[in-house]
Amino acid sequence: MFQKPKNIIIAGCGRLGSSLAGKLSQLGYHVIIIDKSEEAFRKLPDTFSGYQVVGDAANTEFLERIDIKNCFLFIATTNSDNANCLISQIAKNIYKVEKVYARLDDAEKQILIEDSEVEAIYPSLLSIEKFEKLSGITFKEDF
Amino acid sequence: MKIVIAGGHSQAEFLISLFLNKKHKLTVINDDVPFCELISSTYKIPVINGDPSKEYILSEAGIDKADVLIALTPKDEDNFVICQYATKIFQVKRVICTVSNPSRVEVFKKLGLTNVLSATYMVAKYIEQTSTIENLVNTLSLEDEKVLLSEILIEETDTCINKKLLNIPLPKSTIISCIIRTDNIIIPNGQTVISAEDKLLIISTPENMPKALNVLKGREKK
Repeated sequence: MFQKPKNIIIAGCGRLGSSLAGKLSQLGYHVIIIDKSEEAFRKLPDTFSGYQVVGDAANTEFLERIDIKNCFLFIATTNSDNANCLISQIAKNIYKVEKVYARLDDAEKQILIEDSEVEAIYPSLLSIEKFEKLSGITFKEDF
Repeated sequence: MKIVIAGGHSQAEFLISLFLNKKHKLTVINDDVPFCELISSTYKIPVINGDPSKEYILSEAGIDKADVLIALTPKDEDNFVICQYATKIFQVKRVICTVSNPSRVEVFKKLGLTNVLSATYMVAKYIEQTSTIENLVNTLSLEDEKVLLSEILIEETDTCINKKLLNIPLPKSTIISCIIRTDNIIIPNGQTVISAEDKLLIISTPENMPKALNVLKGREKK
């Protein structure tokens, strides 16, 4: 009766969104990827076996139609930080999705989502960490 | 009052001239260079060119000292982020978010914004209010919605047809102020008989107006 929700929703089929979608569906997860334009789905790898839906991820009616209530993991990877902020808060605060991740290019926007249990992925900070590892130069934290 | 206007073109310009006339202090943020040039050459107000959804642009505009922020950019998600910054980080007292997609009004409110406006949403609410009864041609609210003036068209099937006004049990605080019959204006008294195709101008309170319309149009059946 109480089957655990198994869906993963990825909003935004860019490079990150499409490759995550491919890898996750290869592992057997049920993945739904959404994007505003049909064209974007051409980036999806052959390994992807989930659903691709054209729509606006900030539209609650649309999210309900693709069954967000049955989703346990939500990733906001559109090309707009502001959209990712909004979409991830909708997923977390309105639909109480268990795990919500948002990709933010601008690390300053963290303060907007830190109290909402949305976890952010910062490509810029990750690149800095990688640089530290590669170069052996470490940056001390500012605080 | 210090007001910050973020984004927008024609709406922003309209608000600027409106608020300047009322002696408010204004700051404008816009990412469009020609618009910024136009505003700074027309009005003597600080104009900041940049993306208003960035924290440093907002603090450059002195938003921490603002009483009101209005977000007018064409993208709803940008307005959302601007308003969240203003509310959460800068504690601006009144934050007004405009949206182009009317369904966002409820969503943004659920996510903690208090004032969310959409032109389409307001039109829809207006239609909802006025079209609950057929043939309600027009409703005007006066004195902050304490008084309503409604115009209705009487049809042959309505209950008040061929009745004298004194025999129609209108609710209290309600009068039929005027009857428009073809081209004549009749100021009615108790002896006036209502006939089909009459247009009535009714003055009432918001609570009594629906009752008055029920009595006249005959929708008391439950």
